[in-house]
Amino acid sequence: MSSFGFGLFCLLGFTLPVPLLAWLDRERRRKD
Amino acid sequence: MYAGHFAAALAIKAKEPRAPSWALLAGVGFLDVLFGTFVMLGIEKVTMTPHVGHGFTLDLIDWSHSFVMSLVWAALFSVPFWRRGSAVAFAVAFAVFSHFLLDVPMHPPDMALWPHSTVHLGLGLWNRLPTGWWWVELAVIAVFCAYYLVRARTLKTFGGRALWACAVVLALHLFNSPWLSPGK
Repeated sequence: MSSFGFGLFCLLGFTLPVPLLAWLDRERRRKD
Repeated sequence: MYAGHFAAALAIKAKEPRAPSWALLAGVGFLDVLFGTFVMLGIEKVTMTPHVGHGFTLDLIDWSHSFVMSLVWAALFSVPFWRRGSAVAFAVAFAVFSHFLLDVPMHPPDMALWPHSTVHLGLGLWNRLPTGWWWVELAVIAVFCAYYLVRARTLKTFGGRALWACAVVLALHLFNSPWLSPGK
C-alpha cells in the first residue's frame, strides 16, 4: 500500500462507520 | 487506536445524551480524517514498512495530531454546536480531543506538542506490545461499551440498538487486529 493509499484508507476508515453507528444509536420509538 | 475511538464516542454520548451521535462519532475520528487528507496532499508524511513493526511509521503528523493542534481542531469542530448549549459543545470538543488522549498510549513518540516542536509524546504500546496492544484496546472498548450499554438501558433516550452498535465497534476492532489488518 502506498502512503497515498494509506491516507485514503484512514480517511474512509473513520468516515464510513459513522452513519451506521449513528443509526444504531437512534432512539427506538414505541408504537404504543 | 482505531475502534477504541468509536467506543469513546459512544461513552461520551452516554455521558451527554443531548449531543448528536453523528457529531461525536465524526468528532472522534476527525484528527485521522485530517491526517488522511494531509497525507494525500503531502502536508504530513507516513512511510510504509510492510511486515515491520506496526506496518508504517508516522514521520510527520504535527498538523493533525500534535497536542496544540488537537485542541485547535476540537475547538473549531465544536463551534457549530455552541447554539445547542455549552455542555453539548464541550462534549463534541472533548470527542475530538479524546482522539489525542487515546492515541498517546499507543503511538511511539511521534505526537508533537505543537507543529515542529522537538518534544514528542507517545508511550509506544504498538511497538512494545506487538500483539498485546490489541488486547489493551479491547479492554478500553469493553469499558466504554459497558458504560454506554448501562446508560442506554437506564435513560432509554438513545442506544435504540445499543448492543448492535457495540457489536459493530467490536467487528471494526477485529478487522484492525494484528492478524487481519489490511494495513499490514
